[in-house]
Amino acid sequence: MKSGNKKIVASVLSLVMITALVGCSNPFATDSSGDHLPDSGDGKQPITFTYFSEDSSTNWNNMNDEVGKVIKEKTGVTLSAEFAVGDPVQKLSLIAATGNYPDLIAAKADVGKLVDAGAILDLTDLINEHAPNIKKMLGDKIVRTKYSLDDQAIYAVPTWSAVDEKKIRADAGFELQHRVVKEAGYPEIRTVQDYEKVIQSYLSKHPVDENGNKNIGMSLNADDWHMYQVTNLGFQTTGGPDDGEYYIDQKTHQATYHFRRPEEKEFFRWLNHMNAIGLLDPESFVQKTDQFKAKVASGRILGLADPEWDYGDGQNALRAASKFDQTYGHYPVTMSKEYKDTSFWLAGFDGGYGISISSTCKDPVLAIKFLDFLASEEGQVLNNWGIEGKHYTVKNGKRSFIPEVQERANNDSAAFQKEAGLGLYWNMMVHYGDGIKDSTGNYFTRNYPELLSLNYSNAEKETLKAYKAKHWKDLFPTEEDFQPRAYGAAYTISLPNDDPSMILGAKMKDITWKYIPEAVMSKPEDFDRIWDAYMAELEKDGVQEMEKIYTQHIQDRIKLWSAQ
Amino acid sequence: MGTANSTTSASRSKNKLHTKSIQDRILEVIVYVSMILVTVLTLYPFLNVLAISLNDSVDTVRGGITIWPREFTLKNYDLIFTYKGLITGFQNSVLRTVIGTVLGLLSGSMLAFVLARNDFGGRRWISMFLAITMYVSGGMIPGFILMKDLHLINTFAVYVLPGLVSAFNIFVIRSFIDGLPYALQESAKLDGANDFVIYWRVILPLCKPALATVALFLAVGQWNSWFDTYLFNGSNETLTTLQYELMKILQSTTTSATNSQDASNMAERMAQVSPESVKMAITIIVTIPILIVYPFLQKYFVKGMTLGAVKS
Amino acid sequence: MSKRILEKESVYKKVSPIRKGKWKEWHNQRYLYYMSIPFVLWVFVFQYFPLWGWTMAFQKYRPGLGFFEQKWVGLEHFRTLFQDDHFYQVLRNTLAMSFMGLVAGFVVPVIFALILNEVRIGVMKRFVQTVSYLPHFVSWVVAAGIVTKMLSTDGGVVNSILLGLNLVDQPIPFMSQGHWFWYIVTSADIWKETGWNAIIYLAAISSIGPELYEAARVDGASRLKQMWHITLPGIRPTIIVLLIMSIGHLLGNGFEKQFLLGNHMVIDYSEVLDLYALNYGLSMGRYSFGTAINIFNSVISLFLLFAANGIFKRVTKESIM
Repeated sequence: MKSGNKKIVASVLSLVMITALVGCSNPFATDSSGDHLPDSGDGKQPITFTYFSEDSSTNWNNMNDEVGKVIKEKTGVTLSAEFAVGDPVQKLSLIAATGNYPDLIAAKADVGKLVDAGAILDLTDLINEHAPNIKKMLGDKIVRTKYSLDDQAIYAVPTWSAVDEKKIRADAGFELQHRVVKEAGYPEIRTVQDYEKVIQSYLSKHPVDENGNKNIGMSLNADDWHMYQVTNLGFQTTGGPDDGEYYIDQKTHQATYHFRRPEEKEFFRWLNHMNAIGLLDPESFVQKTDQFKAKVASGRILGLADPEWDYGDGQNALRAASKFDQTYGHYPVTMSKEYKDTSFWLAGFDGGYGISISSTCKDPVLAIKFLDFLASEEGQVLNNWGIEGKHYTVKNGKRSFIPEVQERANNDSAAFQKEAGLGLYWNMMVHYGDGIKDSTGNYFTRNYPELLSLNYSNAEKETLKAYKAKHWKDLFPTEEDFQPRAYGAAYTISLPNDDPSMILGAKMKDITWKYIPEAVMSKPEDFDRIWDAYMAELEKDGVQEMEKIYTQHIQDRIKLWSAQ
Repeated sequence: MGTANSTTSASRSKNKLHTKSIQDRILEVIVYVSMILVTVLTLYPFLNVLAISLNDSVDTVRGGITIWPREFTLKNYDLIFTYKGLITGFQNSVLRTVIGTVLGLLSGSMLAFVLARNDFGGRRWISMFLAITMYVSGGMIPGFILMKDLHLINTFAVYVLPGLVSAFNIFVIRSFIDGLPYALQESAKLDGANDFVIYWRVILPLCKPALATVALFLAVGQWNSWFDTYLFNGSNETLTTLQYELMKILQSTTTSATNSQDASNMAERMAQVSPESVKMAITIIVTIPILIVYPFLQKYFVKGMTLGAVKS
Repeated sequence: MSKRILEKESVYKKVSPIRKGKWKEWHNQRYLYYMSIPFVLWVFVFQYFPLWGWTMAFQKYRPGLGFFEQKWVGLEHFRTLFQDDHFYQVLRNTLAMSFMGLVAGFVVPVIFALILNEVRIGVMKRFVQTVSYLPHFVSWVVAAGIVTKMLSTDGGVVNSILLGLNLVDQPIPFMSQGHWFWYIVTSADIWKETGWNAIIYLAAISSIGPELYEAARVDGASRLKQMWHITLPGIRPTIIVLLIMSIGHLLGNGFEKQFLLGNHMVIDYSEVLDLYALNYGLSMGRYSFGTAINIFNSVISLFLLFAANGIFKRVTKESIM
């Protein structure tokens, strides 16, 4: 080859070599990289565990936050963490399929894949011997962490669901703007007819807002998976608790696909009626989430039936614009007085989702001790409240968050979370939820009833006063009104993906998500015909078989949880 | 055509010019009107994204922003720049874009040259062999296992090596080479050049439009990819890429929950982390570098600059 | 064009396949082989070897178990697939939208490239060209949001104009009508991708020798005639190559735009094969079923590819294989 060519070949080769050199970095290093931890008195050597979680954690700071540093100090453990981006199932399948196990894994519903692979340890003995805090917290609820009737191992430390909690906020039910109920003189809002009447009277007097844009009686967010929020109203208004897509008879434990209940047909008929008389947003099943939120933020939607975490962004915009009378109050609306709103029929502790320890973990005992520390009272207070003196103070035995710090947390939440680390470890610790007090008589979490009242706007306070309530929850039936369900909550049963009830469930979901919008938006005289077609198609595609299989699963779980 | 005929042909053409000019004038009008229309229609979404990215995130929820921010703020960008992985991510992204593009151009043009030769014995079956790859795939798990067995997990090489050969790009370049007169290669051969020299010295310099186009595709592809980072290098901070870092910030708003309880739990925990405005800011950050680099490539394929005509 | 092909054949006639002749031929072309075989091997390793994964379609695949521990179920997944009525509806949607997209995705960018080429002012030409591809970089999430808002019945631009001009007395609910959907998707795609798709054609145009235009101008041809007789034939090979490759992708190349522009009311028209595969395959962890769909997709695509290639080869003498 001529010399010119030689030069070219040489440069190409060198480019390839550079690539190769850059490429050959060390195989994944598992020793801590330069962690200079003081040797804590118990002789713990600093160690780094690798961790993969199906949840996201955008503000993760490699435990360089204030809380994280304390955890490192007390346990000697640093986590090198990776969080799922987008769909976590794929990444977890790869982990299971290829033997690349991190030391700790939070697999949520996909724990079955890891069990198949033999990738994770049975934690029963580890918890028994090395995790006193976890053991104590769970008590006899530990039964709920067992995998299945056939395999009673404990594969994950249940860090996701709160072991015990008293919900203080009524975030669901139906919502009405304060100005709507005010103008009507604060009538009782108990049934869908009450709800409809008050919207109707306001809308007829105020068809447009101050800019000439139409006011909307009621709107729904049914964008993609938000559709669940609409379909759940079916059981919510007819006395059924949230058991996913099923209604479980509390005595016989028979499972029914809840849309097949005649009571729910009547709810959707009422929605159809709302559409027919022009009170329902015609775009309810067509709009995207940000369109929905924009409508909420414009203050033109008089009524909602949506959880607050969904429309909250829109409501915040209203608050920022000081339009407080256009924000919403919560009402326990059902089809008739014979049905109770079931928002507070608690599911109880769900022992399913949590952190597993892999079979290749270098030091499972240290791992369980690490998790145990997080679950201890000290660990929970650390994660929820922070460091004494820095984030909170204790005066006369009462713990309170420092106001300036709260300001910072409100205004600059991302940066604050990265720095302080509060709330970053919530799904790594077995924890108590809201409303539970610790040994010092203070609440574990920073959401407690006394704090709520401080945040109510004047319009809100006015409405509450008119209804003789201190908090919205007071209007709703409470936990005590319901018997706990023997199986917890149906949707927490994790089934393998090829279980027939799952496959059939997907089919039923597609059918339902097609027919419900069609039925609601159709002319009232067509409603029955469409609904009958809907029911017929469900039956044709195997709904009864699905119900039968699912009933068996429920009964298996009851058996598992009642055994000791 | 010498000057001898100039008067007659000139006057002839002038006449023709007059009659044809109506046709041409209509064309002219269509051209300019449609260009203006296109500009407006295609500039709008981008300006819209830019405006939202410069708008306060709580105010953005109200919707209704078109091409101008209503409540100007730089907070969205500030927020993004607090994420420390961005600098490393940027460096790695630039590196992989450059290396990936160069390697892709080399392999693509070489194969395109070879496959453009009608006399090449392997032409038909190699073309088929390559074309099929565009429509078949073994799936994610076998792919991952392969990378693992080749020790490409946790390396930089995984960004540029597996995708080295792209059938699509090869066929694009080849269709350009097909347009070049074969006589060029013949005369070079007569001068004693071997096929590699012909490729390197004769054909490649003439493919500039094709190379620029393919370079653009390769570069944009490399710049935008994050899924490979996620799959193969997700736990390695030194190998992170810009898009992956940004995707981590972005993904918190796209929860795909399978039941409402799951959704509410997730939504509560992730409140306010990635509002609409931040998403838009991310789009802008990713696109701006491409816009900056683009004019350098553009001159190769938008006619109007002096581009060497092919000498016969 | 044809002259060139004749030239080629005259100089390098294929030697008849006698063994000795073959070795000589290979030796003559050794550089060509050096420059291609390594890449062919590369492709084999990275693209063909993983195809062993297709065996998953015949198993009841569980990621945790090793290859030999999997349960074999033969054609069960294919049976499930072909017995599902839903599958055929999804297939119909996919083909309809792909076909419309194919036509639109060629006609419009080519016309756009031709028109852009006629812009005389260099600065304007480059500006318009740069701006035209910007929507490509805006994600479909954003683009779909814009389209949905524009077609909204609650203050959307299109309906406001229609109402203002008194063409209708009620806003038209575009997004909830299934039979509008295919047109909406195609139009949105044109808007978003034309500028980007035109880049190849612009590049092809720029390599057409200017002497051809000179000659035509001297002959008095109008610019329209020049476009028709010089520019268009000049980019014909490129168009055909891209067309053949796109026909192979008729069974789908993603589902993002259909998913984002669609909603539950038009689901009968918006669900495409790739989304079906995701929902019933990967998302449910049913890798085997997903792989079966993947195989179906590949087989049909290859059939389309070879068919298109064969037809074009015969009719236009241009092809990719």
